[in-house]
Amino acid sequence: MAYLYQMKKLLIALICVSASHVAFAQKELLQLDETNKYVYYQVVDKPGVVADTLYNRSLTFAKTAVPKTKPQNVVANAVVTKGKFLVYSGSSVVRKEGGEVSYTLFIESKDQKYRYKVSDLIFTPYARDRFGNMVAIPGVEVPLEKLTIKYSQKEADNYLAQTGAFCKQTGETLKRYMDKLSNIRKVEPVKKVATDKW
Amino acid sequence: MKKKLLLLMSLATFAFAAQAQDTTKADPPLTISGSVDTYYKYDFSKHSNIPTSFASDQNSISIGMIDLALKKKVGKAAFVGEMSFGPRGQSQSIPPSTTDGSYHVQNLYVSYDVTDKFNLTGGYMATFMGYEVISPVGNFNYSTSYLFTNGPFQNAGFKATYLFSDKASLMAGIFNDAWNVYTSVSKVNTFGAQLMLAPAKGWTAYINLLTGTLSGTEIDLTTSYQITDAFKLGLNAADFSAASAVGTGGFSGIALYPQIAVAKDVTLGLRGEYFKTKTGSVTTFGPAPGSSVTAFTLTANIKSGPLTLIPEVRLDNNKNITDGFTKSGGVTPTKSASQFVLAAVYAF
Repeated sequence: MAYLYQMKKLLIALICVSASHVAFAQKELLQLDETNKYVYYQVVDKPGVVADTLYNRSLTFAKTAVPKTKPQNVVANAVVTKGKFLVYSGSSVVRKEGGEVSYTLFIESKDQKYRYKVSDLIFTPYARDRFGNMVAIPGVEVPLEKLTIKYSQKEADNYLAQTGAFCKQTGETLKRYMDKLSNIRKVEPVKKVATDKW
Repeated sequence: MKKKLLLLMSLATFAFAAQAQDTTKADPPLTISGSVDTYYKYDFSKHSNIPTSFASDQNSISIGMIDLALKKKVGKAAFVGEMSFGPRGQSQSIPPSTTDGSYHVQNLYVSYDVTDKFNLTGGYMATFMGYEVISPVGNFNYSTSYLFTNGPFQNAGFKATYLFSDKASLMAGIFNDAWNVYTSVSKVNTFGAQLMLAPAKGWTAYINLLTGTLSGTEIDLTTSYQITDAFKLGLNAADFSAASAVGTGGFSGIALYPQIAVAKDVTLGLRGEYFKTKTGSVTTFGPAPGSSVTAFTLTANIKSGPLTLIPEVRLDNNKNITDGFTKSGGVTPTKSASQFVLAAVYAF
């Protein structure tokens, strides 16, 4: 019995460590840039692919990823688009929309490589309105690097971790477009049984 | 046993990892939210004088309500069901009722997004009129204004909302002939409309109309402007005329809500209200017909995570000495009344 008790304690400890490690790892995906603002920045090598091709692929991605916003071309071979995503507060049964984070996505292509940056990360908190819906509080905007001024460390870490996870996911989706892998799921032929042969 | 434990550990680790990645879902499967509130009030006349809603018990540690709201959205269809248990959500917010024998539905409706910009909603809903609401989480002050107390709390009906842009939307609907009741008296003939405008960043304004042959006509302006990170200004103005089927009279009034954040977790706010009753046969929760009251409420919101502590002092001054306030003992009339409230509200 003592053995089981020890193993139970070990199990709980491992779960706690794993959970905190995952959240911490997602938060660490964000970096502070030269102006002390959070960004998610990656440079990706793409041997054998010219800049024009990469630019066109990044444009396709931008139009698909943020369909409501028209991508802009501010620098040669670069795409800029803006979007926002939801972040959640609480956990388990009381998990709900805590706010939204708006961002700017910049993708620049050169021969054999591209880089992208998610920046201008601004948090707009949500509050429950009289009809029971979670809606944005008008006029309240908090840059991610200033979250701890308005919110507890725990809340700030939670939102930063979710932002890190979103950026990572966006980067992975972008990579699929840049690799030009099919984003359309293959239609598997329907397997039918032949009932006339037995 | 070791193998089983290792398997469990692996599963748990994967579950947490998957949860951490799962941040871009459009909507959680089921959202549960709500609040719990409790308060202490002391009226300096040693009995309750101020007739506005809630915080009504004199020299008593009393309860508001537990409020439970469920929301689920699947595709374009959603429902909200919100129920409250406790005096604030029961007898204190159903005007004709005097007992606390049942719970009270705050919201119970279904809605459907016909398009991204066009929504249809039907059921029993919190009113779209006014600045303050029943839920203590939605208000800055714990005690409520005369405009809130005398306006509608809920309306049952069917409404359509069209969003022109982020800066403008229009709602129009048909509602039951009486406010705050689950079923109509006999007809569904109250017309309601709301024009929402957002003229500047942080500034929203709602122009509201509710008119019916039994419910009367109320026109309402509700607006708030987050002028700086720390300073917000709200305003509510309304005019109500009773339906001829009910009587004559009504009320009009204006309330101003300046609020300033003085620290990360502390915000101070003042509510200044002028409320005037019209001459006629209809009486209000306020001064006698043809009179007026001026009320000032100074409130602090001190937050600690989901808990908000709300100390508040309030001073109301009637136009006439016969408008309802009485001195200690409850007999000698007086023009003014004052009270202190300390409330705690936990939101989840």
